[in-house]
Amino acid sequence: MSVRDRSGRDTSVEAESRALGLNIGWTVFSYLLSGMAAYGLIGWLIGRAVRVEILFPVGMLVGLAISLGFVIWRFGKRGITREETSR
Amino acid sequence: MTGALAAAAGGGCHIFSGCGFPAPGLQDFIWTPFFTIGQFQFTKPMLLAILSALVVIGFFWAAFRKPKLIPGRTQSLGEMAILAVRDQILRPSLGRKGDSYLPFLVSLFFFIYIMNVMELIPVFQFPVTSRIGFVWPMVFTVYFLYLYLGFMHQGAWGYLRNMIPAGVPWPIYIILVPVELLRFFIFQPFTLGVRLFGNMFAGHLLLTIFTLATWYLLSLSVGLLYAVGSFALAIFVFVLETLVTLLQAFIFTTLTATYIASSVEPAH
Repeated sequence: MSVRDRSGRDTSVEAESRALGLNIGWTVFSYLLSGMAAYGLIGWLIGRAVRVEILFPVGMLVGLAISLGFVIWRFGKRGITREETSR
Repeated sequence: MTGALAAAAGGGCHIFSGCGFPAPGLQDFIWTPFFTIGQFQFTKPMLLAILSALVVIGFFWAAFRKPKLIPGRTQSLGEMAILAVRDQILRPSLGRKGDSYLPFLVSLFFFIYIMNVMELIPVFQFPVTSRIGFVWPMVFTVYFLYLYLGFMHQGAWGYLRNMIPAGVPWPIYIILVPVELLRFFIFQPFTLGVRLFGNMFAGHLLLTIFTLATWYLLSLSVGLLYAVGSFALAIFVFVLETLVTLLQAFIFTTLTATYIASSVEPAH
């Protein structure tokens, strides 16, 4: 049985936590991919300019580390609020 | 039809008959066209996509063409379907003010669901969404919709600024900008589409493998035992796929609702 607040938002715990979990799960996955891709690309471009090929995988690892750190900061340390899902 | 399915449909390919296992693969997702007009080829997945759209349109037309205060069977079913999407998908993300998106989300959910469920219906037995070309148009529709809504409700600068949560120190902002831009504009829609495609593709492949293996192993030999095992697995995957078809439509629509919510509500 769903319960609605004054704005009409469904506050049914089940439905809400399901939407929350789905969104956060795929946001985290997207962060990990985009971190690697963004800094991998930057590493590849710099590596191409200075002729140091290793900068491409190094960039990807740096991107992964940045993404992981941010994911932990955003979804772990501070706890998860409803507002986090609407970003 | 091409590939392993066509080979198996030929008949006599069984174990110990000198015939190797006709392993399914990518070729089983490629269909010989029903007809061709110039460069355009009309294939089975296209026919199934059109049928799916007609099923959704036909059902809701039949349910609501003459709505009554005391609903009949079809109208009751239609109302239940709409209320399920509203209460389980729309309201948890958008609240009551998001009710204007209900027709879009209902159409999206049932269109995807029927396209997925084609996999389990004899004769059709092919999930349309396992061809990624049918998934991208839906992803792009959702993508351009939430971008448009975001720019409309928050303004271009506000929308871009709100991508990064408040409270991040400014040096971290600079580090996060490329990650956030890539995530928001590329990987968010990419994962939305690839997940649906990947799940349906893999499910269909599994179902094909176990069905073909059952047929291949069927013989008056020890293969019969394995055929029974393979048949049991085919049934298991079939049951699993009945859930996956629904789940994938649900996930796609739920994420669409959350993306719309992130566009219409300024970030907190």
